[in-house]
Amino acid sequence: MSEKQPENPEISKIKDFMKDERFDDVVNIIALYLGDATDEDYLDRLEDVIETLMLLHGGRTVLRFLIERLIIDIPSLLENLSKRDSVLRYSFLLLLKSMCENEWDLFLPYSEDLLNSDDPNVREADLQLLIFIAGGEMNIEDESLIRAITEKLNDEKDFVVKKAIQALSAIGMDKPSLVTRVITNYVKEFPEDSILKDYADKILKSIVSVEGIEEIVEEEEEKEDVEGEEAEIIDKELELKKKKIEIQKKKMELEEKEKELEEQYIQEKERALKLKEDKIDTEVQKPSKREELPKKVKKKIKKEESDILDKEIELKKKDLEIKKKKIELELREKELEEKAIEKKEEALKIKEELIEKENELSRVELELKQKKIKEKEKKLLEEELDRADEYFNKEEGKK
Amino acid sequence: MPLTPEHIDKFITSESDSKTKSELLELLNNRIKKLCFEECERDRILCTLSPMCSKRFLLKLRLLNGLSIEDQPKFCYSVHKNIIQRDFRNKTVIYKPFDTYLYLIDFLDVFFHGDYRKLNKFLSKGDTDQAIEIFEDRIKNRDEDFQYFLTTDKNYLIFKFDDRIHILFLKEKYALCNANRENIVNLEIIKGLSDLFSSLYFPEIERILIPDNHVELKTYIPRDVINKISQEPPEDDENKRDQYFWNTFANDLDALSQFCKEINLYINKKGNLKIELHLDTSNSIRYRDLRLVFNIIFRLYNEFYIIWV
Repeated sequence: MSEKQPENPEISKIKDFMKDERFDDVVNIIALYLGDATDEDYLDRLEDVIETLMLLHGGRTVLRFLIERLIIDIPSLLENLSKRDSVLRYSFLLLLKSMCENEWDLFLPYSEDLLNSDDPNVREADLQLLIFIAGGEMNIEDESLIRAITEKLNDEKDFVVKKAIQALSAIGMDKPSLVTRVITNYVKEFPEDSILKDYADKILKSIVSVEGIEEIVEEEEEKEDVEGEEAEIIDKELELKKKKIEIQKKKMELEEKEKELEEQYIQEKERALKLKEDKIDTEVQKPSKREELPKKVKKKIKKEESDILDKEIELKKKDLEIKKKKIELELREKELEEKAIEKKEEALKIKEELIEKENELSRVELELKQKKIKEKEKKLLEEELDRADEYFNKEEGKK
Repeated sequence: MPLTPEHIDKFITSESDSKTKSELLELLNNRIKKLCFEECERDRILCTLSPMCSKRFLLKLRLLNGLSIEDQPKFCYSVHKNIIQRDFRNKTVIYKPFDTYLYLIDFLDVFFHGDYRKLNKFLSKGDTDQAIEIFEDRIKNRDEDFQYFLTTDKNYLIFKFDDRIHILFLKEKYALCNANRENIVNLEIIKGLSDLFSSLYFPEIERILIPDNHVELKTYIPRDVINKISQEPPEDDENKRDQYFWNTFANDLDALSQFCKEINLYINKKGNLKIELHLDTSNSIRYRDLRLVFNIIFRLYNEFYIIWV
């Protein structure tokens, strides 16, 4: 007393191939099956495929292939599922769970866009996929994505808000400080929104455990440390700059002192020389205590002293001469350089003049050529006129 | 030993203080409210795929007590409806929606989508003739394969889609879908089901409603068949008749006796074996039990009566 409906032949084929684990063939059949669909029956076919895959061993493998080969793409899949009942939608989302956990790169690139979908079911499904991803090995660290999820706390649909709370709680388990920061920043933008604050409280309470608090505190401490270190570095830099300036000052002072000392030294030497000269003069004029020494010895000492002084003076003179020569050489070099520059400028001027002259010549040549052409044209015209006259004259003569 | 549900059950039945009882029941009511409207619907995936009450029986609790759809957890009810719809369309479901209840309009939406507003209007007003016109049109002109039966007092409409039975409670404005383990609540439904199955599988079986008492189903095994039954246990396995009467008939009668108020067997004037079954609701007969009764009748009718005729 009962009847059964026959099964779709394509689905039967898929089932048979799945039994033999011919996954590539299954993928090809599904691609053709969906490819042949019209706009009207595409959803029915997609639902048939999804239902079949959900029930069969190896269905997830085939589904992964279908997604990888873009036969089914995630955004349009979620949009299509939204048009179907919740049982199919959620069952299928569950089918994607392990794929989200292990191959998040298939889903994450679409996540942020899908969060802004017009369809609340799509937004909810996307958040569910993010929950699955966060439950896997992947730590979601993308601040803009977390921010986009946080914005869903203000979604018009209550079920999307609930899913966003779950998603943030799931992500926050691994990244409590990041999620805490993003949420608190977002809540600060709406200081009068008490409902949003409640949601934020709920998430933060679910995120924060003893370990979580430690992590947040550690991160904050690290931040403070980093900030302190940065300040220290800046202070040190300033100190270094100050020290450099001081060193430069000291160098300058030292140089000045050296100069002063040199000047003093020169002055002292000059004084000493003068004193010696005076002494020599006075010694010549007045007999000194040395007179008491034997005359020969005195003479020798005098000679020697005068020789030394002479030599010193000569050396100084030579030094001065060398300095003068150096200065002269430098001046000459400068003069030569100036002369070279002047010569170059002159050469350039000459070149410019030559170019101008060449241009003028070419113009003149052109004018000459044009004149010649005109003269030739004139001659030709005249010759032709002459010929014409002759012809007419002959014709008149004949008449 | 901690408190168990059995203790509570015993307490409610034995406690004489109504205030205490109502306090306890209020606690239970609050718990149900929280479970349905806060905990279960918090996550729609969980609510869809693993609801917190088995097969969403708390929806049934509200519906059978006359609460409107506004009093139901909306998402849960929508999933419930979806599951019935998916099962009707042979799609995979998380659980088979046997003995599930829908509000009248939702039942009509699932099973007669294109005409559900019209049908709801007609059936709500009690205009069954207009509704039947639509059913007939769908069967004759739109290749839809279902059978229906309006009970004698026009309180129930019975539908049969393949092997699934759905009962429309017209006064209460709800429907029992995929009736199976639910108790049949009155004789009008037993009579209606008997008439529907009789029209399809055993048209010559007599069916009489004795109001407020029972429904009589009368069939007989012709004299010729009775006379041909061997006097000794059958040695030939291929003789179906002997095999049945010697080996199975007694078991069938035993099974029938579990669901029938009374079974009368007698040889009438023509020498035929009359089998008279009295069915009522006192035995808490379920839809599946009635199906079993019909199966036995169908076998007797199909293998012995119709061949003889």
